[in-house]
Amino acid sequence: MAIQVSGITKRFNDFTALDSVDLEVKSGELLALLGPSGSGKTTLLRIMAGLESPDGGSLLLNGEEALGLKPRDRQVGFVFQHYALFRHMTVFDNVAFGLKVRPRGERPGSAEIKRRVTELLELVQLSPFAGRYPAQLSGGQRQRVALARALAIEPKVLLLDEPFGALDAKVRKELRRWLRKLHDDIHITSVFVTHDQEEALELADRVVVMNQGRIEQIGTPAEVYDHPASAFVYEFLGQVNRFDCTVEGGIAHVGGGALAIPTQGGVQGPAVAYVRPHDLGVTPASAGPARISGIHVVGPDARIDIDLAGLSLEAEMDRERLATLGIAAGDRCAIHIDRARVFAR
Amino acid sequence: MVAAADSDGALAGKGGAVTVRAPVPLFRKPSILPGFGLTLGFTLSYLGFIVLVPLAALIVRSSGLGWSGFWSAVTTPRVLAAFEVSFGLSFAAALTNAIFGFLVAWVLVRYDFPGKRLVDALVDLPFALPTAVAGIALSALYAPNGWLGKPLNELFGMKVAFTPLGIAIALTFIGLPFVVRTVQPILQDLPAEEEEAAASLGASRFQTFCSVILPAILPALVTGFALSFARGVGEYGSVIFIAGNMPGLTEILPLLIVIKLEQYDYAGAAAVGTAMLGVSFVMLLILNLLQQWMRSRHAR
Repeated sequence: MAIQVSGITKRFNDFTALDSVDLEVKSGELLALLGPSGSGKTTLLRIMAGLESPDGGSLLLNGEEALGLKPRDRQVGFVFQHYALFRHMTVFDNVAFGLKVRPRGERPGSAEIKRRVTELLELVQLSPFAGRYPAQLSGGQRQRVALARALAIEPKVLLLDEPFGALDAKVRKELRRWLRKLHDDIHITSVFVTHDQEEALELADRVVVMNQGRIEQIGTPAEVYDHPASAFVYEFLGQVNRFDCTVEGGIAHVGGGALAIPTQGGVQGPAVAYVRPHDLGVTPASAGPARISGIHVVGPDARIDIDLAGLSLEAEMDRERLATLGIAAGDRCAIHIDRARVFAR
Repeated sequence: MVAAADSDGALAGKGGAVTVRAPVPLFRKPSILPGFGLTLGFTLSYLGFIVLVPLAALIVRSSGLGWSGFWSAVTTPRVLAAFEVSFGLSFAAALTNAIFGFLVAWVLVRYDFPGKRLVDALVDLPFALPTAVAGIALSALYAPNGWLGKPLNELFGMKVAFTPLGIAIALTFIGLPFVVRTVQPILQDLPAEEEEAAASLGASRFQTFCSVILPAILPALVTGFALSFARGVGEYGSVIFIAGNMPGLTEILPLLIVIKLEQYDYAGAAAVGTAMLGVSFVMLLILNLLQQWMRSRHAR
């Protein structure tokens, strides 16, 4: 089921959470709403679910106006960051809840409910835990119960609010792979909110980058990473070196002329340049303009802090390359930039 | 030399293993918090002095009657009727409080309205008011010529003061704060997300209330009920004014005890007190067990 958001605006007192947002979620895709806290992404998700009502705009679910509908009539599955499982019910009863509360005419028989719940618990690999209470499960297991519970009502859309936010790094990674696989299997239109760019880029078909109640860019993970539409997107997605420069005739002059970078686009005059750490090359040179101020090895990679005429830069390379270069903290070096994006200041 | 050192080491090891295993007290779990023995000892002796010694004295006093004397003292028709009045009406009042006290707590937590703080403070007044004052106020209000008693009598033919209904009203008045104050904090901490989850899963407000909210606050509600009930059973001051105190009809147990004391029937008074104590203890125990069972269903 497709979702069409147009002109949605939401204010909380003086704070504008959403400022006339337009968005289309295609049927069957997995879409990420990515942004810093306060960017309005959760509010947008809650409006889609009917848990919040906007001040203006329209929301079409499968082509039909849905803003007047109550959450229970929207056929939307919602997964909360902190699971929101019913504490006094077993895992089985939690998953069965959505089926048991249906009006008498539509409610499946108890044998059918049992069959469906068992099936869902198998899907989320929690069959042995059916009789447990939520308090007896780990965070990852609870979130999978929450997912099974949301899927039990056979929703047309699955909405997930920071579904991995409360989990530790390893479980988070596992669960996110598992969710991707699940989505590939059942192809339910899904929207998830996250502030973790890695999560959005790895998991989503398309990423919506939000900032201050507006959408900055919509695109595939590769598009938003490789071709950020704005300075904000560039800065928000991944590590980045940011420095002020002056552009003259397609050449950006950085650090008082210490470095010249070729640029594309028609920017002239004062500008801000962005360079990803892995696009910054380092070569040892005894009379080079820059100095290596520190080297940090993180797993297979090395981060190199560089001081260029008072400007702090960060470069990234794998450890093998670091070994071949043979550089150490305190050495002087030359740097070259393979790729940079320049936005007018 | 080497061999000697070896055997020394082995010995030391053995000796160490033996000395390290200090005797562990039966109920004590290993903890870094000090003072287990001191605090447990203090708590038990405090409870002993404050609660157990007076109760034991009561039982000792009544035991002077002997088993058959005790039995005949507490099974006279007048005492049995008083038992019915006291426990029956306390139960009814506690039940009323459980329902309406919950409503008050609900409104105080969920809605904002002008004067909310004032209403919140008002809830505690029955705690602070001398019970005799409450009793006089209530009986003046509900007396056949009182502000409420008169219209109730004329319009519906209802008599409140000097009837069991009057007693129930007095007990409801003094018991209300217990339910409100036990339910309120639990209701306050109830996460909104669980209700939102229920709504998005298709539950109506009523279904959400019954299957999500009520189970979460039920233990607190039972506590409030038990407190209100216990208070009602022991209540004296506010009831004697509105009750009319007709033996066998509107005479409560505490009043009966006072009457027995005035007649110098100390052993009889102690016997009634002991029987009252027994019944109260059993009922509170049942309520406690009920609560424990409810809590264990979603234990951490």
